[in-house]
Order: sequence, then C-alpha cells, then structure tokens
Amino acid sequence: MATLADLTSTDALPSPDEARAAAASELRGGLAWMVFGSGVLALSLRMDRLEAQHINPYTVPGLLPALLGIVMILLGGLLALRSWRRGGRFEGGPRFAMTGEAVRRLALVIGLIVAYTVALLGRGLPFWAGAAIYVTVSILLLQAPQRAAEGRRLSAREIAFALAIGLAAGWIITFVFQDAFLVRLP
Amino acid sequence: MFSGLADFANAWLGFMNPTSIALGLGGALLGIIVGILPGLSATLVIALLTTITIKLPANNAILVLICSYVGALYGGSRTAILLNIPGTAANAASCADGYALAQRGEAGRAIGIATSGAFVGTLFGVLCLAAFTPSLAEVALAFGAFEFFWLALFGVAMSGSIVGDDPIKGWLMGALGLFVAQIGQEGLYAYDRFTFGWDQLAGGISLIPALVGAFGLAEVLTSLADPVEKKLIQVKDSVLPRFREVAQYWRTVIRSGVIGVLTGLLPGVGEDSGAWMSYAAAKAVSKEKHLFGKGSIDGLMAAETGDMASIPGHIIPCLALGIPGSAPSAVLMAAMIIHGIQPGPMMMITHPHFVYEVVAMTSLASVTILIFGLFLVRPLLVILKIRRTVLMPIIFLLCTVGAFATASRLFDVYAMLVIGVGAFFLRRRGYQMAPFVLGLVLGPLLDKSLRRGLVLSDGDLSPFFTRPISMAFAVVTIFTLLLYVPAFKAAVRRATGGTGRVFRSALGRKRSEDTA
Repeated sequence: MATLADLTSTDALPSPDEARAAAASELRGGLAWMVFGSGVLALSLRMDRLEAQHINPYTVPGLLPALLGIVMILLGGLLALRSWRRGGRFEGGPRFAMTGEAVRRLALVIGLIVAYTVALLGRGLPFWAGAAIYVTVSILLLQAPQRAAEGRRLSAREIAFALAIGLAAGWIITFVFQDAFLVRLP
Repeated sequence: MFSGLADFANAWLGFMNPTSIALGLGGALLGIIVGILPGLSATLVIALLTTITIKLPANNAILVLICSYVGALYGGSRTAILLNIPGTAANAASCADGYALAQRGEAGRAIGIATSGAFVGTLFGVLCLAAFTPSLAEVALAFGAFEFFWLALFGVAMSGSIVGDDPIKGWLMGALGLFVAQIGQEGLYAYDRFTFGWDQLAGGISLIPALVGAFGLAEVLTSLADPVEKKLIQVKDSVLPRFREVAQYWRTVIRSGVIGVLTGLLPGVGEDSGAWMSYAAAKAVSKEKHLFGKGSIDGLMAAETGDMASIPGHIIPCLALGIPGSAPSAVLMAAMIIHGIQPGPMMMITHPHFVYEVVAMTSLASVTILIFGLFLVRPLLVILKIRRTVLMPIIFLLCTVGAFATASRLFDVYAMLVIGVGAFFLRRRGYQMAPFVLGLVLGPLLDKSLRRGLVLSDGDLSPFFTRPISMAFAVVTIFTLLLYVPAFKAAVRRATGGTGRVFRSALGRKRSEDTA
C-alpha cells in the first residue's frame, strides 16, 4: 500500500549497514526506556500513599506515574524486541550518527550556550552586556572553521562586525522587551 | 445564529483601531519572518511572543499570537518553493510542486498560488471555527471525569500514532510528556512528586520554557550542527495572488479545506497532516496525477489550503474542549490561560464572546497574510541571506528571554536548556516532539480525571467503558492502538477490503517530519 510519503519522497532506501546501525541504536534506546520506566515505576510505588490523611486509596499521588512507568517499560521492550529482530544485536556495525567535525561543532555550540546560561545570565551583569559577549564570541568561534578552510586569519574587521552584531542584538532585545513591552529580563 | 453574527461583527469592530491593526500586522510579519527561516517553527514564535505580549490586554495579545501563527505557516511556503526546504513542517507538502514550478522560472506564480490557497484555506477554516466551536462546547458540557480521561488519552495516542514515522516512538514521547507533567505538586493533595526535595521543581516544568527548549533551542542546535546552505531560486515573475486558479481548482480548495479542518480537530496531529492528507486526496482524484511532484498547481493549492485550514481546525478543540490540536495551539492555549481565559467547555459561559473574538482575530490574520503576500514577498526574502552563525546565537538569546519572562525564574531557563538539548538528541534518533508537548499539556487533566473518575465510581472501572461518550472515545482510542498490531491490522484490512485506500494511506503515513 502506498503511503503518503511515497507520493513525494525521493529518499533512497538505507543500506544494510545503515539499517543495522539504526537497529543497534534503537536497541540501546529501547533498553534505556525500560530502565527509565523502571525508575519511574519504583519511585511511584515508593511515593507516600497519604494514609495518615485518610484519603481515598484510588487517589494516591503515585497512581498515574506508576501506570506511565509500566507503559514506558512495555513500549521500550517492544522497541528493543523489534530492533533485536532487525539485527540490532550484532555489535561492531558502522555508525552513521555524526562526523568528527559535526561533533566538535555541536560540542562548541552546547559549550557556548551552557557557559552563557550558567556564567553570564542572572549573575549581576546587565542583560545587554552578557548578550553582546555571548553573540560576539559565538559568531567568531562558529565562523572559525570557515576561516580555516579558506586559509584566512581573524581580521579586525570581522571582530568589529561580530561585536557590532552582539551589541545591536543585546540593545534591541533589551529595548523591545524591557522598555517597550515592560517584560523583565534575566 | 444572529446573535453569533452580531458578536462576530462587534468583535471585528473592536479590532478596527490603529493599535490592534498595528499589533496584528506586526504579529503576522514576525510570524512570516520566522516561517521563512527554515527550522524555526510557529510554536517558537508564538512562545516568544507570548512573553513579549504578557502586559498587553488579553484581546490584543491573543490577536498578535494568532496572526503570528497564521503568518509562520504562510511564510514557510516561501522557503519550500524557493529552497526546497519547508520553512515549517507544515509546508513540506508544498516542496515538491512549489520547487518544481520555481525551477521552471515560475517561482512568483507558485508564491501567488500559495498566497491565494493560504488565504482561502484560512477563511474556510474560520467559517468552521465560527460554526462548530459553540456547538462542540455545548456537547462538551456533558463531559465528566471519565470522558476527559479518555479525551486526554485519545489525544496523546493519536498524536503518537500519526506524527512521525514510528508509533512506538510517538507513544513513548507521549508517555514522557505525561510523566514530565507529573513533576511538581499534584493538584489534589499538593503532594510533591519527583521533586527530590528541590523547591524549584515543586512548581513543575512550565509549558512555555519546555516548548521554547523543544522547538527553539533544539532547532538552534540542529541548524548549527548541520550547516548545509542551499541556493535560493530568484523570483522573476509576478507574485500576485492567483484567485483565477482558486476558481479553477475550487473542488480542490473545498476538499482540502474540509480535510484541513478535520485533521485540525484531531488532537496533537499537527498542520503538516492537513497538508499531506489534502495533497494525497488531491492526487487520488486529480486528472493530472502525472504532474504531481513535477509542478502541479492542483497539488500546491491542495497542500497550502489544507495546512492553513487546519489552523482554525486546531483552535476549535482548544477553545471548546481545552484540548489543543497542535503544538502551536498548545502555546496559544497556555497564553489564553496566562491572560485569564480558561479554554474548555465552561468558556462559552465564562467568556461567551471570546469565541467570536478569536474568529475575528483569525479572519484578520488571513487578511494580513494577503497584504504581506501582495507587498512584502521580495523584501522579506533578504532574511534568508543572513548566515546561520549570526542568526542562531541571537535566536538562542530570544529563547532564554522567552523561557525566563513568564515567571521571572532562572530555573525556567535551565529547564529550557535541559529540555532543548534532550530534544535535540531525541529528534536525531527519530523521536517527535508533538506527542511530548501534548502529553505535557494533557498530563494534569489525565491525572485528575483518572483519580476523580475512580473516586466517583469507587474504584469500579466500568464507567470508563460504559458511559456513551466514554465508550465512543475508548473504542476509537483502543482501535487506533490496535491498528498497529499486525494481526489486528490484517483482520481490519480483510474486513474493509479495498475501500478507503486514500484515507488509510494518509493515516499510515511514514514520514519523519517535525510539527510546527
């Protein structure tokens, strides 16, 4: 039976190696869901049943969370079983998740946002100043691979451009949210 | 009926002042800009605008949000046509034919068709919104705990089944959303669940920070981790809306409008389903099947009309039942609650005029996209030239402000960060965010309805299955879940034979597209 995706999709079918790698990844995912669901179930069962308050036993706080834990265990088990049947049990297959460069770029992006959120946001620095530092540094670091590929060094013009964008972003957001619409900023 | 018309006229007149018009146009413009930028979704722009409009009067704030919602979905078709990348997930169905037309040098014509389809589709949906919301709310007044339990479960189950390409992953995300909604003080006894003694968690995970993380930060990470730049096709011909083609393809327009609204009514299904189902139906009955995917006007019209008609369709259950039809309408519902309007069956009693105000807002939004479609197509395309390395850090700044502003808590920013990074990795593994969002919204309702229902029946489960409306919801929910059991599915196929192939193919869609 044709599915809706078939109407327009031009994607090629995955190769056996890709399918096996995906199945192995899903198997790990299914097991992780089962562990997580077990944790939710265990914590729900340990929740206070408020017997001292003489509440109706059908209204204990852990009722729905426990059911959700069971659902996660069952669905995680189904996912793991399906992946197992699709060849996910074979270890050592090639992985197609991300290239080394993509991982480095992602680590850089996450590092920048965590550093900004934890170190600059709400630590006494005015919002516009923290925003300007974050945006300027982000632009300069995220464009570094492109400069390296083109064999260029960081120029004063590029620094000035990044700084101008950073200051403008910090000032405009502060003006629009805080001054124009009276919204508190972190 | 005439009182409804009078309410609608009064609501329209209420918005005919310079402030409301400027706010509506501004909301639509921001929505279009976000829609044009690939990856940034309607959910994100509504969440961010919810925070910025928090001090505005309720009517003007909701007007801005609805205009941005309509604008984002409309703007997404630009990128679909010119870059072959859907600006929002809802525009994915427009890619094939829109991009093919653009490659033939007819980009302006494709944009004109998208504009007219979007305008007519939204208006059609608005008519349904006005006609059906009050009646549905009246029916919903008969709902009790048993019915709301099934309605919430039905929403999460449907969303998990239809969104994405793997129902197991969809249901898991729905269960995760329901679980996250249980964190914090529960509603009956103020008992702290899963807080581990941490006071900040007692307030629970707020919806806006969670949505900003799942749809904003996750997209920032996706965009920067995958720096593929595609060449933009130049617009050389006229971009004027093509109402002649609307008249020519009137059957497609009406059919897609009906499908869009009906898919909109299904909880958590997303606007992309409206577009894909309309596209499939148009292809099934079209005389020019061979042109589909190669620049079919019929196909583009169907996709654009279907996704835009689903917007008012999503707002109908949101207003009448308090069950959002999609992720953007979930934020819209949260914004209504922030502004003191509780959507749901009681709304027709507590705020009887509000439904007609929403109808007026949505029709106003459709007019704004027509205006921008006429005058601002080419200038707005300039924003596609901004490099991601410049744009995405600024989007992240907006995410932090959006997460912080509703409650002025830094904890919400940290929650946004954790949910965003988690959503990024889950999305890369094929997990969709729409069921998670619906679970997060419906979690408290499911919890209270289950426990209240059990108290009312003194632990007896039979009322969950024997009350007429409960029984109907239970049958549909269980049937939907069982359809994914191969033996049951084969039995259903044998029983139904070859009929309804188009509808089944639409429901069995295997495509991994995120919601708006």
